[in-house]
Amino acid sequence: MTTDPIETLDADPLGLAPQVSRELRPCASYTLRVNGFERPVTDAWIGESLLYVLRERLGLAGAKDGCEQGECGACSVQVDGQLVAGCLVPAALAADSEINTVEGLSAGGAASDVQQALAASGAVQCGYCTPGMAMAVHDLLQRNHRPTEVEARQALCGNLCRCTGYRGVLAAVQTVADARALEAEEAERAAAAAAEEAAAEASAEAGAPVAAEPSAVETEPVIEPPVYADAEAWIEHVPQQPSAPEQDQVQVQATVEQPYGDGGYDTGVYDTSALTAMQPGIPAQVADDQVYYQPQGYPEQPYQATPAHGTYVPAGYPDGHQQQNGYDTGYDAPVYEPTPAHGTPLPGALHDGTPPHGTPYPDPHGAPADGGAPAGVPTTGVPHGATPAHGIRLPEDDHAS
Amino acid sequence: MLPASLDEAVDALAAAPAAVPVAGATDLMEAVNAGRLRPAALVGLGRITELRGWRYEDGGTAVLGAGLTHARMDRPDFAALIPALADAARTAGPPQVRNVGTLGGNIVTAAPAGDTLPVLAALEATVTLARAGASREVPVSHLLTGLDPVRPGELLTWVRVPLLHAPQVFLKATGRSGPARATASVALVLDPARRAVRCAVGAVAPVPLRPLEAEAWVAGCIDWDGSREIDPAAGAAFGEYVAAACVPDNYGAEGAWEAVTEGPTAAAVRLRRTVSVLARRALGRALK
Repeated sequence: MTTDPIETLDADPLGLAPQVSRELRPCASYTLRVNGFERPVTDAWIGESLLYVLRERLGLAGAKDGCEQGECGACSVQVDGQLVAGCLVPAALAADSEINTVEGLSAGGAASDVQQALAASGAVQCGYCTPGMAMAVHDLLQRNHRPTEVEARQALCGNLCRCTGYRGVLAAVQTVADARALEAEEAERAAAAAAEEAAAEASAEAGAPVAAEPSAVETEPVIEPPVYADAEAWIEHVPQQPSAPEQDQVQVQATVEQPYGDGGYDTGVYDTSALTAMQPGIPAQVADDQVYYQPQGYPEQPYQATPAHGTYVPAGYPDGHQQQNGYDTGYDAPVYEPTPAHGTPLPGALHDGTPPHGTPYPDPHGAPADGGAPAGVPTTGVPHGATPAHGIRLPEDDHAS
Repeated sequence: MLPASLDEAVDALAAAPAAVPVAGATDLMEAVNAGRLRPAALVGLGRITELRGWRYEDGGTAVLGAGLTHARMDRPDFAALIPALADAARTAGPPQVRNVGTLGGNIVTAAPAGDTLPVLAALEATVTLARAGASREVPVSHLLTGLDPVRPGELLTWVRVPLLHAPQVFLKATGRSGPARATASVALVLDPARRAVRCAVGAVAPVPLRPLEAEAWVAGCIDWDGSREIDPAAGAAFGEYVAAACVPDNYGAEGAWEAVTEGPTAAAVRLRRTVSVLARRALGRALK
C-alpha cells in the first residue's frame, strides 16, 4: 500500500502542477488501436490530443508536434483510413478507431517504399516534416495510384517544409507511383503466364480444356531486402505483465529483458543470436545483457584518435591508398608536415628563418653588422638597424627641440 | 462519450448541458491546445452516421447532415448539387482538416473566415436545432448574427438548402496560394425562378454580409429570358457597389483618432478593391 504523499510525489516530482479537482480536469480511460495493437490509456484528461497521447503516453514519437493548430501537417496520422492532423483529434474520441502512424509504415523495421523514395530523392533535410510527409504521400498513393503533379501538390498542401522545398517530395511521389505500377504490371503478367501454363497442362493431361483459376496461382511474393542490415534482428517490445519472481528464471531465455524496466519507452531490442547469424564476421559484444553491434561497412581497424598538432603521420599504406590522420582519403593527398618552431630554418628556403627579436638586420650593402654606425651620427648604444628600446634618445629628437 | 444515434446524443446533451458536442474538433482542439478552452465533457458526434449524408425533400430542397465533412462536400456528386458549397469546401483547408471538419461545425463555430458561411447566407439556408423531444428551424443568418443563437442542450442537426439548378460561384482571396484563411470571400448564386441574384461577402466582418441593394440593382440589369448577359461596365459597377456596401470607411481604423479622419482608411481602400474584383468576377462567371 502506498501512502498519499508518495503518490503525489510520483505524479508530480517537482510539485509544479497545482492540485486540480476532478470536476475541473475530467479524465477518461480508453483503448486506442494503434497500428493494429490495442494500447490502453488510463486516466487521461479528455482535452488531450491524439498527438499528445501517442507521443507522451504511448511512446510513439513518430508524429511530430509542429504548430498544434493543424497548419503544418507534421502530426499527420491516419484515423479510420483518413489522413488527419493528430493535434486536432481529441484522443478520447478516437477510441476504437483504427489509427495508423508513421511507425506502422515501416513494418518489421524496414522502411516502406515511400520512405525509401523520400530519402533517395533528397526530400529530407532537417526531417521534422518527414513523418507527416510520408503519411501524406502514403495516403495519396492509397487513394490515387497515378497522381498527376497537380494532384500530388494538392495532396501535400497541408504539409509545410521549410528546408528542402517540395521538389524532392514530388519526385518521390512519382518514383513510388512508377515503381508500384511496374510491380503490379509484372505481377499481372506473371499471373497470366502461370494461368496459361496451368491451362495448357490441364488440357494436355485431361484432354479437355479446364478453366484455370487465377486465384489458385500463387505468385511468389517479392521479398525486398531490408534497408537496415539489423532489421531482422529487431524484436518489437511487447508489454508484459510483471510475473512472479520464481517464474522469472524460467522466462529468461525466452524473452528479452526490458532494458528500461516496466512502462518505460522501450520499444524493442536486438536479438543477439540473430545478429551473430547474420553477421558471422563480426562478433556481437554482449555486456550486461545489452548488445552492442558494429554494423558492416565501417573499417574494421580499431579507432584511431586524431593526432595532436605537429605529430608525424606515416604517409603510405600497403594497399596504395594514402592514409591521413587515421582516415582513408582514397587519393594521394599531400603528406602533412608539422609547422616548424619559430627560428627553425626551412630546408628549401634560402633565408635562415625569422631571427629572434633584437637581432640586427643583415646589411645588404656589406656594412659591418654591429657598431658600424656612419660617422657624424651619435651612438645611442643600440646596434644600428635594430629598433631602440623605449626611453632611449634618438638622433631625430634633437631636431624637434 | 460517443453516442451512435441522434437521440442518444440529444439525451446525453440534456443530461450534461455543459458538455461540448464535438464533430471534427478542428476548431475546438485549436482552442484547447492554445489553452483558451477547458471542456467539462465531450460528446463525440462522429458515430452518428445519419448526420454524415444528405437527403432530398419536396419543394426542391436538399437537407444536408451537419456531420458532412468538407472532403465529402468536395466530391463530384455533391458538386453537381450545390457547386458553390463544394468550391468553398475545396478551399477550406488542407486535406488533413477537410477530412474531419464538418459543415455543422463550421456554422456553430461561426468563425469570421468560415468558408461555407457566405455560401449558406447567399443560399438563405435554414438549420434545424434539435433538443430532447423537440426541434426548431432557424435561418442561418439569424443564427450567425446572434438574433437566435444556439441554446444550451441544443444540437445542430440538419441544414436545409434550396436546390436552384443555376450557376453558383464561390471566390476567395487568400494571403498565399495554398490553403489559407480568406481575407475576403464572395459567394454569388443566381435564382432564375425569382429572377434574383443573391450575393454574400465573407471574412470582412464577423458575419457574412448581404449587399441587398446591389443585388436588387444588378438583378434588374440582367436579361433573364435571353442570353443572361450583362454589360461589363455594369459588372464592374456591381463590384464597386458591393465593396462600398460591405466595407465601411473606418475599416481597420485603430482608435478614435483614425476613425474621425476624412475618407476611407488605407485598409478599407485595399479591402474594397479586393471585394469589388471578387464580386465582379463572381458575377461574370455566374452569367457566362
